Amino acid sequence: MQKSTFIYVTYIRTTPKKLWQALTQPKFTRQYFFNTTQESEWKKGAPWWLRKPDGGVCDSGEVLEIDPPRRLVLKWRNELMPKLRAEGYSRMTCEIEKQGASVKLTIVHEMDKAGSKFIESVSEGWPPILSSLKSLLETGESLEETRRWPKGM
Amino acid sequence: MKKPKLVYTTFIRSTPKKTWDAISKPEFTRRYWGGMTNVSDWKKGSKWEHHNPENEVWITGKVVESIPAKRLVLTWADPDDLKDKSRVTFEIEPMADMICLTVTHDRFQAGSKMTGKVSRGWPRVLSSLKTFLETGKGLNIFCRG
Repeated sequence: MQKSTFIYVTYIRTTPKKLWQALTQPKFTRQYFFNTTQESEWKKGAPWWLRKPDGGVCDSGEVLEIDPPRRLVLKWRNELMPKLRAEGYSRMTCEIEKQGASVKLTIVHEMDKAGSKFIESVSEGWPPILSSLKSLLETGESLEETRRWPKGM
Repeated sequence: MKKPKLVYTTFIRSTPKKTWDAISKPEFTRRYWGGMTNVSDWKKGSKWEHHNPENEVWITGKVVESIPAKRLVLTWADPDDLKDKSRVTFEIEPMADMICLTVTHDRFQAGSKMTGKVSRGWPRVLSSLKTFLETGKGLNIFCRG
């Protein structure tokens, strides 16, 4: 099966619980994920949405696996760009492992097709988002450029 | 068979000069790179070495390109296996209140023993570098569990 895969590993001086909260709770995601929030009941099979500041949906999907604060797997499709939406659902796996006073965070985002434009797009998005999340947890302040929804999107 | 290429991008609340100094000056590098240091005059054509705290050489190579605070390209090999050579590029891009650091490790030899080690190592080292620049203290990069 041809696949497009993006993998990012970062180590953050925090606890698994704090990282899990920052990954899922709106008061945190607004600060580093371009002012977006996630809506879900956070149970296996539950629907999942990523919403823009105006409430509109930017991405949608489903919770495939959830084991707080260790593992989260989402079905994930872009809803804003027709060409990306047409590629269908990707799979996003988030793994959190305690490593002494730090936590290892691994994001694997994959699509069952070669040359996925969606995976190319998230490959650009994840590094600044995860860098900003790390800054937020380690210094109390996210990176400025990731606090606002991009103009015109 | 497509040749492996590792590209790691991180955004750090710091300046190009501080980032360059953290990579190139032993007094900073040892504070986030597990006590290791990078030793060179960083001029194009010069030798460079990666030393452990006992000053043993763990990695060696040459400076291919050097634009301070912007771009550094090095060849990279274990001194006990110089044929297994690869290349590392550091690129520092200034942005509004931060920098974008992109590290590319490529040009591996076929069957290189380096790829596994460095693909596990770079996220540790670069995460620790970011923590060092933003908080003054690096991470314990050799910690496991």
